[in-house]
Amino acid sequence: MVLIMDSIYEEMAASVVELDMEKAKSLAQKALDEQLPLLEAIEKGFGEGIKRVGNLWDAGEFFLPELMRGAQVMQEAVDIITPHLEEGSRARETKGKVVMATIEGDIHTIGKTIVATMLKANGFEVIDLGADVKAEDIIAEAVKHRADLIGVSALLTTTMIGQKKIIELLEQQGIRDKFKVILGGAPVTSKWVEECKADGYAENAVAAVTKAKQLLGLS
Amino acid sequence: MDFLSLLKEKEILLFDGAMGTELMRRGLKLGEVPDKWNIDHPEVIREIFEQYYKAGSDLVQTATFRANGVALEKYGIQNLLEDINKSSGKILRSICPPNKCVIGDIGPSGEFLPPVGNASINDLKKGFQKQARALAPFIDAWHIETFSDIQEMKAAILAVQIESNKPIIASMTYKKTPKGYFTVMGNSLIDCVSELIDSGVAVIGSNCTLSSSDFIELVRVMRVTAPKFPLSIKPNAGNPQLENGKSVYKQTPEDFAKDIKQILEHDGQIVGGCCGTGPTHIQLLRDIIDRLTGG
Repeated sequence: MVLIMDSIYEEMAASVVELDMEKAKSLAQKALDEQLPLLEAIEKGFGEGIKRVGNLWDAGEFFLPELMRGAQVMQEAVDIITPHLEEGSRARETKGKVVMATIEGDIHTIGKTIVATMLKANGFEVIDLGADVKAEDIIAEAVKHRADLIGVSALLTTTMIGQKKIIELLEQQGIRDKFKVILGGAPVTSKWVEECKADGYAENAVAAVTKAKQLLGLS
Repeated sequence: MDFLSLLKEKEILLFDGAMGTELMRRGLKLGEVPDKWNIDHPEVIREIFEQYYKAGSDLVQTATFRANGVALEKYGIQNLLEDINKSSGKILRSICPPNKCVIGDIGPSGEFLPPVGNASINDLKKGFQKQARALAPFIDAWHIETFSDIQEMKAAILAVQIESNKPIIASMTYKKTPKGYFTVMGNSLIDCVSELIDSGVAVIGSNCTLSSSDFIELVRVMRVTAPKFPLSIKPNAGNPQLENGKSVYKQTPEDFAKDIKQILEHDGQIVGGCCGTGPTHIQLLRDIIDRLTGG
């Protein structure tokens, strides 16, 4: 039985890597019809697929269209399964809540969207505020949603300063310890993270997921 | 001056360096739209243009990288599109020496076509067309630059061709992968060059993201794909690092110039600099070009 399950999970993962929407949806339906453990189907099947897509992106084999298409395939398959999760033995536990945005003055969304996609695919609840968002608004949303993590992206060295402002405002409001703050964007370095007193950054989207898990004590 | 005549007359043309990083040095603040300086601080824009011509640039481009319809709409200042573009074009034209050219600069929309984004190719094209219409009376040629989607580039080329019959330099931005040079959207260098040749542009180029040393190999691949086509390159001055709240480019202008010299000895025809380069880089390139061409 385990072997059969493993092979179905492998097919699910492959459907995401092959960007095959129809195959992924029919496998999700099969998981319902055959009463497979649904949480495992998401995590060992489709979730594994999106991790592989992320690795292919990092290796330069996949590009943005494949990455985004892979995330859509995974999302649609998971959407078929999710309504039935509560009927199963347990709900899919969220790994944590993340409020994400590209900082004020910066309209670059690719990096932030990729990281949001990978976090979602790995079981995080992501509230994506979009681009050009004021530091004050990012914090207000994080407070409102009781987020665990705040992710702030900046592509330009001119707008990076806004990342530092987030930490300063959190400190001023006396709520710095309520959130872990991760920074992203091409010009961000570990030195900059130190200078801002943020909690971390990652070189790529796959590493961002690892870093988020690590910061929330999940790995 | 007529761009194609200048290109024919001179073996190598010198482009300008960066605008954005020059504005930062002069106080551009967080959240400000650089293009708006064309109307808010025209004297600063004029001074930077003048410095580039003075440093030896044959071609200087307008400060209108983000001044297309779609990008300005995102900033909520689409109503300023005409003013920004016309002001930049007018300033640059007014100081351009007779034996040099004014280049109209067009950058990407910042939006993406599906599946990455929700933009429609028609909206992007309309946005570029508005910009091209405003800039057209002032310029000798176009530089459509920093594009990472060949579809968006083709939309921009078409938009410009509808509004103007001046020659186009089309520059894509590539990243280096284990399989060669690709745009972030997955368009290969070879495919882009072939498509650009077919689209009727005058010069095929590449700019930004890569540093000057990476461009040495990139230009060789471009040259093999387009043996007789004029090529233009504008590399970054290394990669920026933030120190005490200011972005710093660690590569020295001399190192930059050394790499460009190597490129010129083999393949390049139009050279200049992108992010992080300034008049010092351009002055060094002028000296190199003059030595190479006996000018």
